Amino acid sequence: DAASTPTSLSRDWLSVQEVVDAVSSSSCGAISVFIGTTREDELDGRKVIGLEYEAYELMAQSEFTKLCADIRERWPTVTHICVHHRLGWVRPVLPWQISSPHRHDSQQAIQRCIDQLKANIPIWKKEVYDTQDSSWKENAECSWSTRNKSSSESV
Amino acid sequence: MTSSVCVLYFAKSVELTGVKEEIVAVPTPISSRDVWRLLLQRHQRLSVLQDQVVLAVRQQYVAVGDQVVTLADGDEVAVVPPLSGG
Repeated sequence: DAASTPTSLSRDWLSVQEVVDAVSSSSCGAISVFIGTTREDELDGRKVIGLEYEAYELMAQSEFTKLCADIRERWPTVTHICVHHRLGWVRPVLPWQISSPHRHDSQQAIQRCIDQLKANIPIWKKEVYDTQDSSWKENAECSWSTRNKSSSESV
Repeated sequence: MTSSVCVLYFAKSVELTGVKEEIVAVPTPISSRDVWRLLLQRHQRLSVLQDQVVLAVRQQYVAVGDQVVTLADGDEVAVVPPLSGG
């Protein structure tokens, strides 16, 4: 069956099974799955009660497409790639799945997918605390983040 | 020449400006640094994001700097605070 790259940004609950079904293939002996979830973090005594996600949706879709092309170039045996990311008010977040004939490629590919998503896909996360305040988070992988001082000169 | 572009704000920049999008008249061609300065003049509170923001012009990332962009009426210019997806 042909290689596919379905991506979805959704305000509804995500189904891991739906994503598994999207990448299953008779030619593949491996499916790698990454599911991001909400940690029960505390920051300065404030408890995180949830996350609010927003995206620049059209650009996120085009960046996903670029990212998947990069993955296929690096690991030509990768067959299906499927990414679902939640938007809006969230607890569980992000099933990612990649299938390939053998596990090594799919495991390396999914690692790069997640790193590159955090660096390049225009999605933002706000932590909301039990004290009713909130803060926008920054990924260390993002080159213009304050958490990424080494490359901030290039911006 | 001047173009009317659609400026989109996301995440913290929405809170700082109080708007999600607005039409802005921008001289063109223009450096991305001057686009950012022009937005700072409209919304001084955006200075909180100084040195930790990039722009996206027609959905392509452009660092705030010397790069010159040519803008047409209706083009999308987005203010992109540090990303936090995943």
